[in-house]
Amino acid sequence: MMYIQHFNCISPQQNVLSNDMDLLNDASEKKMQAKEPVYESIPPGVLRRMGKAIRMGVGTALPICKAPALLNGIIIGTANGGMEDCIKFLNQMVQYEEGLLAPGNFVQSTNNAIAGQLGLLTENKKYNITHVSRGLAFENALMDAMMQLNENPTGSYLLGGVDELSTYNYNIEKLAGTYKEEAVSIKNLYTTDSPGCIAGEGAAMFVVSNDAAGAIVKAEAIGTLHSNDEKEVKGKLKKFLDENLCDDDKIDLFLSGENGDNRSLKYYTACESLLNSNTTVGRFKHLCGEYPTASAFALWLCCELLQTQKIPHHIIKKKSTEKEINNVLLYNNYKGYQHGFMLIKNCR
Amino acid sequence: METAELKLQLKKQIVEFLNLIQVKPEDIKDDEPLFGEGLGLDSIDSIELIVLLGREYGINIQDPKEGRKILVDINTMVAYIEQHRTK
Repeated sequence: MMYIQHFNCISPQQNVLSNDMDLLNDASEKKMQAKEPVYESIPPGVLRRMGKAIRMGVGTALPICKAPALLNGIIIGTANGGMEDCIKFLNQMVQYEEGLLAPGNFVQSTNNAIAGQLGLLTENKKYNITHVSRGLAFENALMDAMMQLNENPTGSYLLGGVDELSTYNYNIEKLAGTYKEEAVSIKNLYTTDSPGCIAGEGAAMFVVSNDAAGAIVKAEAIGTLHSNDEKEVKGKLKKFLDENLCDDDKIDLFLSGENGDNRSLKYYTACESLLNSNTTVGRFKHLCGEYPTASAFALWLCCELLQTQKIPHHIIKKKSTEKEINNVLLYNNYKGYQHGFMLIKNCR
Repeated sequence: METAELKLQLKKQIVEFLNLIQVKPEDIKDDEPLFGEGLGLDSIDSIELIVLLGREYGINIQDPKEGRKILVDINTMVAYIEQHRTK
């Protein structure tokens, strides 16, 4: 259990809370690319070397690091890190026959460059770690933060999830059948009965601690599972809820990572079947696309929804009559085999 | 290639190679220091510049002391390129 004090996000959207779907940015060339702001908090001399993942990660984190020296650590989840720079560097190795290689691309391409740059820029020399476990990279980072706070109850940590959409990983994933063959508008994402999803990217950052004062959201529990059996997923979720939800408590909002891929729908359907009619079901992948750490975007969205107590129409799949949102269950799966559950509570 | 032409070409290559997003090639003065004050480059940039000289002009700098004398400003770099280029 831990509290979220501050949160920030860079995503393909700028108006997620609007009810008007026309104000949302649609996919372009089958991709949902992040709308990057002007990075005023990053020194220009440092910014020019940063790849997109690092820019987004650092640019999202710095505005919420009010007192970075007081943070007890930086914990980042990223499956791919700076993939674009990594490929540039590897291409250089081939092109120049392992001779003269410019170091910039290599320095920026490692997964831990985001947490490393944040440590350098904030002069925070404490715990600095990066989780890279594909579709559970952010979930594992969150679990790490919870364990750190268990050992160090008075501490606070910067927690984040970042992944970029590079030309290289888009092409590889496209060949692997991850993305839809046809161009699909986000308005039709969930009704297109075809395999594949829309590629996405983004960064979401959180300052977490055990201090309830000033917090908006409490991350109550996290569960993960590797399985391609929907019955096992359903069983795991039931156990997760039994262990973490009191008898008189209920889920007000089930925020599902449904992504328009008809191959993974069975997992979401299985999980939805555990919920009663008082639960509103919402979806978020039309806002951010699919990427390994999309659950970080979902947690950020959850914080926004709990703060405003309003769920935009485009998010709702099934609406209940309940008006107040107190307990949110986040469920996301990556490629049908990595499953993450988060129980999030309103603490205001 | 005329010296003035080579200077402009080198400035364009430096801006592109080092991704100096806020600098226009024509704004770099020939006698402006590349490191510290002036263009404000750092030690990683010095390695990138040595790679640039190798790739674009076939110049192989192996002695760091030699590099320090060459990578002072555009004038010193161009003078060295004119004398030692192999392509």
